[in-house]
Amino acid sequence: MYVFLAIAAFLSIFPLLWTAISATNSSVDIIRGTMLPGTYLLQNLNQLLEMADVRTAFINSARNAVLLTFCSVLICSLAGYGFEIYHSKAKDRVMSMLLLSMMVPFVAVMIPLFQLVSNMGLLDSTIGFMLPTLATAFLVMFFRQNIRSFPHEMIEAARIDGLNEISIFFRIFMPTMKSTYAAAITITFMAAWNVFLWPRIIMMDPASITMPMLISNLTAGYVTDFGVIMLAVMIATLPTILIFFFLQKYFAEGIAGTIK
Amino acid sequence: MKKFLAIVLSVLMLVALVACGATTTTETPPVEAETPAPTPAQTPDEDEEDDEPAGGTLTVWCWDPTFNIFAMEEAARIYAEMNPGFELNIVDMAWDDIQIALTTAATAGNLDVLPDIVLMQDNAFQMNVINFPELFLDLTNSGIPFNEFAAAKAGMSMVNGNNFGVPFDNGTTITALRTDVLEEAGYTMEDFENVTWNEFIELGRSVLAQTGMPLLATEAGGGDYIAFMLQSAGVSLFNADGSPNIADNAALIEAINVYLELVESGVVLEVNNWDEYIGSFVNGTVAGTIAGCWILGSVQSADDQAGNWGVMSIPRLDIPGGTNYSNWGGSSWAVTSNANAELAIDFLRHTFAGSTELYEVILPAAGALSTWAPAANSTVYAEPQPFFGGQAVFADIVRFSGNVPAITTGVFFYEARDAVGFAVVDILGGADIEQALQEAQDLLVFQIG
Repeated sequence: MYVFLAIAAFLSIFPLLWTAISATNSSVDIIRGTMLPGTYLLQNLNQLLEMADVRTAFINSARNAVLLTFCSVLICSLAGYGFEIYHSKAKDRVMSMLLLSMMVPFVAVMIPLFQLVSNMGLLDSTIGFMLPTLATAFLVMFFRQNIRSFPHEMIEAARIDGLNEISIFFRIFMPTMKSTYAAAITITFMAAWNVFLWPRIIMMDPASITMPMLISNLTAGYVTDFGVIMLAVMIATLPTILIFFFLQKYFAEGIAGTIK
Repeated sequence: MKKFLAIVLSVLMLVALVACGATTTTETPPVEAETPAPTPAQTPDEDEEDDEPAGGTLTVWCWDPTFNIFAMEEAARIYAEMNPGFELNIVDMAWDDIQIALTTAATAGNLDVLPDIVLMQDNAFQMNVINFPELFLDLTNSGIPFNEFAAAKAGMSMVNGNNFGVPFDNGTTITALRTDVLEEAGYTMEDFENVTWNEFIELGRSVLAQTGMPLLATEAGGGDYIAFMLQSAGVSLFNADGSPNIADNAALIEAINVYLELVESGVVLEVNNWDEYIGSFVNGTVAGTIAGCWILGSVQSADDQAGNWGVMSIPRLDIPGGTNYSNWGGSSWAVTSNANAELAIDFLRHTFAGSTELYEVILPAAGALSTWAPAANSTVYAEPQPFFGGQAVFADIVRFSGNVPAITTGVFFYEARDAVGFAVVDILGGADIEQALQEAQDLLVFQIG
């Protein structure tokens, strides 16, 4: 059993480890299959900073992802809360229609979305970036499912104590559902941080570049410097790793769908 | 409930405000980029040599900071000397991403988002111009001297006899071989010069037998090999009327037979992907490579092999019209219909289509080779290269490029190449060659309707 788990753990951690090691090697060493940490980290870093505007990309990615995560989680939790707490047949039907939207692949709506955002003059802007994924059916459903386990008695008790509906949501519901929020934040942040196609289409200006776009640009040349790419990938991975470790405890609980 | 709705709406509004606020901080450059350049009106009397537009800003989409972007920066520097106040705004975008952006802009009918100049892969050039004619400017009568470029190269960006692109980097196909390995087997570079593929395979067998090293490696399937072999004989996968030319294409059958022989004899080692392919010669698993001349950048990354490489043209197909010259890859500059046309054309005419100085700078620094004939006369091209045992490789390659036969890629180049690639895999698996090609043609006809 432990042998199996150890193998599985190794298989999942190996690519990350290899990326980290490769970030310290020269491109030729990587092609030659070096598996030991090298001494090229600083050269790779200098080269990367020379080739690409990492700072701008990182700040843009961070701003886009944080804003989108905050807004999206707030809106979707409100929606999920509404669907479950103020439950009715009609709302169930609306919910199933929402879920249908999960079946439509992004590329199918990409061109109309682009037209829309471009006509609104929102190209190269954070809000243009956020609009299509501000409220996602998945996240609404995720909150709705988790709210099922939320004891309705608490809401009734709060109502009797004289709290209005808004205060119930922010002061009773939100603190109780911490783990669900943590899971939602992690999922949304990772998706927002890694999203590539949408920003690639609407971000025309070099000043709006994001980390995934930057990495894509690094792979485009005749000569590919793998050391530099691996370093860029490591830098791009750090925030998601940090978020995950930071919220890990809650994340596991939130996914399991339990509350204390 | 009403109250609740009200709150939700106000939160949404707040969100919108926050997001708008955040954007303004980063949005300074686009304004500058999108502003149409202040053209001649501004300085009619500040007379320069011809009626050049003064100042102004151009936006360019291209990829690769060490190659295309570097070349563009140098071009901007040179142009700014003759046109003070000129500014170039370069957007680093991978080719695949440029293709997505072009398709999106064209499909959405929103051409305002396009830059002034776009770099396009030659293989995709005709496809884009034919599919989205509204996107690009016809440069035929723009004053750019297209006859000074290698004919095959300029032909890659021509549609119906009109020029839509200013040729940039050279994709002439070369054979690069390790002279030390050849020596070990008792050969020199001269033995490989101007040979047919059959002679090349015989030499390769002998080298393999004596040193245990295959001469070449390529990505499995050999689509690229077959494509450049066909071009070396001036044959395209399409007829002049655009219909597929795959079944009963004698040159194609010969090319596939040569490829099969290369693989079966062990002279070519098939690898799984591009990284393994680069690794094959950097690691010294194989004794050389055949690719576009841009591969020299990767070849030279193996410092320990310095002085042990030589470069020559490729073997030829043993058929009428077969030559030792072909082309693999390369790209050209297109001017979009959203451009400040006068400035963009003037810029290209004085740099990529008119500045020996530009090509002298970007050759040694980036290895970017010209297809503009006057640049080849520069002494920089004739300099011996220590990595290649003192051979003046760049002058040689430019000489090769003048002999490459021109072909049409058409709209469906990539689809045709893939269909042939599938057929080759079948044939390697034992399928009948003519039948497999007929199937490939049927598949392609089905795909393109």
